[in-house]
Amino acid sequence: MVQYNFKKITVVPNGKDFVDIILSRTQRQTPTVVHKGYAIARIRQFYMRKVKYTQQNFYDKLSTIIDEFPRLDDIHPFYGDLLHVLYNKDHYKLALGQINTARNLISKVAKDYVKLLKYGDSLYRCKSLKVAALGRMCTVIKRIGPSLAYLEQIRQHMARLPSIDPNTRTILICGYPNVGKSSFINKITRADVDVQPYAFTTKSLFVGHTDYKYLRYQVIDTPGILDRPFEDRNIIEMCSITALAHLRAAVLFFLDISGSCGYSIAQQAALFHSIKSLFMNKPLMIVCNKTDLQPLEGISKEDKKLVAEMKDEAMKTVIGQGGEPTDEAGVLLTTSTLTEDGVIAVKNAACERLLNQRVELKMKSKKLNDCLNHFHVAMPKPRDQKERPPCIPEAVLEARANQAEADVEKHKRTLERDLENENGGAGVYSASLRKHYLLANEEWKEDIMPEILDGHNVNDFVDPDILQRLEELEREEGLRQEKEGDDDFEIFEMDGAELTPEEQAALAEIRKKKSLLIQQHRMKKSTAESRPTVPRKFDKDKEFTLKRMGRQLSALGVDPTLAIERARSKSRGRNRERSAERGDGIGNDAMDVDEITPSKKQRRHRSPSMAISRSRSRPRNEFVPGEGFKDKPQKERAIKMFKKSANKRNKDARRGEADRVIPTLKPKHLFSGKRSSGKTDRR
Amino acid sequence: IFRFCRSKCHKNLKMKRNPRKLKWTKAYRRLHGKDMIQDSTFEFERKRNRPERYDRNVTENTLKAIKKIDKIRVDREERHIAKRMKRKKTKELREAAKELEQSIYLVPVPEKSPVTLPDKVPVTQKQSEENRMEE
Repeated sequence: MVQYNFKKITVVPNGKDFVDIILSRTQRQTPTVVHKGYAIARIRQFYMRKVKYTQQNFYDKLSTIIDEFPRLDDIHPFYGDLLHVLYNKDHYKLALGQINTARNLISKVAKDYVKLLKYGDSLYRCKSLKVAALGRMCTVIKRIGPSLAYLEQIRQHMARLPSIDPNTRTILICGYPNVGKSSFINKITRADVDVQPYAFTTKSLFVGHTDYKYLRYQVIDTPGILDRPFEDRNIIEMCSITALAHLRAAVLFFLDISGSCGYSIAQQAALFHSIKSLFMNKPLMIVCNKTDLQPLEGISKEDKKLVAEMKDEAMKTVIGQGGEPTDEAGVLLTTSTLTEDGVIAVKNAACERLLNQRVELKMKSKKLNDCLNHFHVAMPKPRDQKERPPCIPEAVLEARANQAEADVEKHKRTLERDLENENGGAGVYSASLRKHYLLANEEWKEDIMPEILDGHNVNDFVDPDILQRLEELEREEGLRQEKEGDDDFEIFEMDGAELTPEEQAALAEIRKKKSLLIQQHRMKKSTAESRPTVPRKFDKDKEFTLKRMGRQLSALGVDPTLAIERARSKSRGRNRERSAERGDGIGNDAMDVDEITPSKKQRRHRSPSMAISRSRSRPRNEFVPGEGFKDKPQKERAIKMFKKSANKRNKDARRGEADRVIPTLKPKHLFSGKRSSGKTDRR
Repeated sequence: IFRFCRSKCHKNLKMKRNPRKLKWTKAYRRLHGKDMIQDSTFEFERKRNRPERYDRNVTENTLKAIKKIDKIRVDREERHIAKRMKRKKTKELREAAKELEQSIYLVPVPEKSPVTLPDKVPVTQKQSEENRMEE
């Protein structure tokens, strides 16, 4: 179903604005700078571009206008007629035609001037050609200004037209002004149409939607129609006539029984008969409204006769559709929109009749046969003569028999909604949903089931025979505990190898000592890079001395004297030989230094430096093994080389290694910059 | 969707750490056998997809049972862990004995301990001179 939506038409600018828009766009989007010194081809191209650009934009915009406005011949005749009624088809077509010619004119203008520009010989000439071209295009647009204004107005009005789908189920409401058509539509749909006491309150068609049997129905409210000859009708009435004429809908002809609309029943009947030709092939219903002011039985005889005539006419339409001639109930109905009496009945009847008519039509059409061919109801072949009626349980049969009583009961039953209204309305009362729970015991209905206990979900544990399982578990646990007791006993026996307290104390001591050693080693390791790896016999700092050994041994509780003597004896023996060869201070085995009374032999070979017991400083050229030199001469040579290298530098009074060096004389951070705290008056 | 008991867990997840590798998580403990994995007490707490009709007696019994089952489960878990810890004790004792034997030299000798230097046998002067001559 194509939705007729005229809201999507772009705005039509008026003449002046149109020109302004296009010209400013040309100015913005094309290059703006040209000098007379440029190559002539370039100048020509510059101006040709402007002309072509303007022409293209005019063309595009006018084309959109022409395309977006609907062509009255292409749309549904209902809309075509409606637009004709509202805007006059001829004017409309003329306006659009004018736009079209304008478009062609502009194209021609541009073509001509471009041809001329190709042979322009100076900047001035090209420029004036361009000015002329644009000027002519603009005058064309100015001339069609009124058409543009007219189209804009039409567009605005079309956007407000109600979106009526001409092909779907529709109910049309017609009648004299003020009979109650708008009130009726207000009652059955969500539309909010103005209802006022003066005639012609409704000036155009209004659409509302309502539902019946799960289908959506359009309900169209029309302005009132007066009884006049066709040619004298005004635009508003023509709207309703158009709707009546083109839409395949169920028609509800509204009749004001009480005459409070200002027109008698006779006048209304006259109108009915004058437009009854429009009701051809449409399910027609007569609705007598305002029965609260004047019931149908109370009207005069002549009026009753008129009404009966109208009913006959309506019946004709029913028969014409193949309905039973005795089905009178759906033709003449009474309502009162004020008291809402009969409104729903009218709607249902109208919807029903429309539905039936549409279904019948579809059945008769050719397309349906194709569909029917796809259906096939399979019936099992009867294998014997036995009757097998469908099995309806007794409860259902009883229920059907008691249907009437059940209906009455339903009216008497208090609904939840009524309960809610009694107890204070929607915000105050909340329905108790637990009322209808099916539980083993009625007292449990208000129980709150706990959800969490000690961090567990209670619902995970719920089980009808949980007690039994728990019992089994506890028995299991009891058995296991006994077994555990035995096991523990066994395991404890295995611990025969427990340590005595003295042994434990010794172990603790061992561990402490070990950790100390480890710590020391770690400290040494971390400083290992800066220390030379000197074998122990060359230790400069005299760490490994006899005294130390003696101390350590006594700390362990062992008598050191024997060990010391033995060490001394060994070292003494070696030392004798060495000192005999060298005769200098290398024989100062560390072990000997601590000796307070050296033996005779040793005293002879003591170097002069060791005559005084002194601290550990030594002369610079004394050879100490382990420093990196092979022997004393090498060390003396090395010292000489060092001194020599420093000589020239000293003579030149150059800065040497020992001289104080200021790497940067003016460090930037002291001579510039703000201080984060404090003053900067001293630099 | 993840829910966390505290931000520590949440932040570790955001850092994309594998809980099976983090020592303090339950996942690690279960995977590496530190906590009890299989037990009949776990059977009681099973997710049921069909809701049962409410019955007050059943609920009462369930609540009482939950407490008892909890106690048993906690007991069993503690025992599991204790058993695990005990295995270390024997190993510790063995190692302590060995260390004691090997590193006893670090410890000062107590007065009445069996660790003493052996008594020296007095060698006579004559024998020593004879030895020297031979060398």
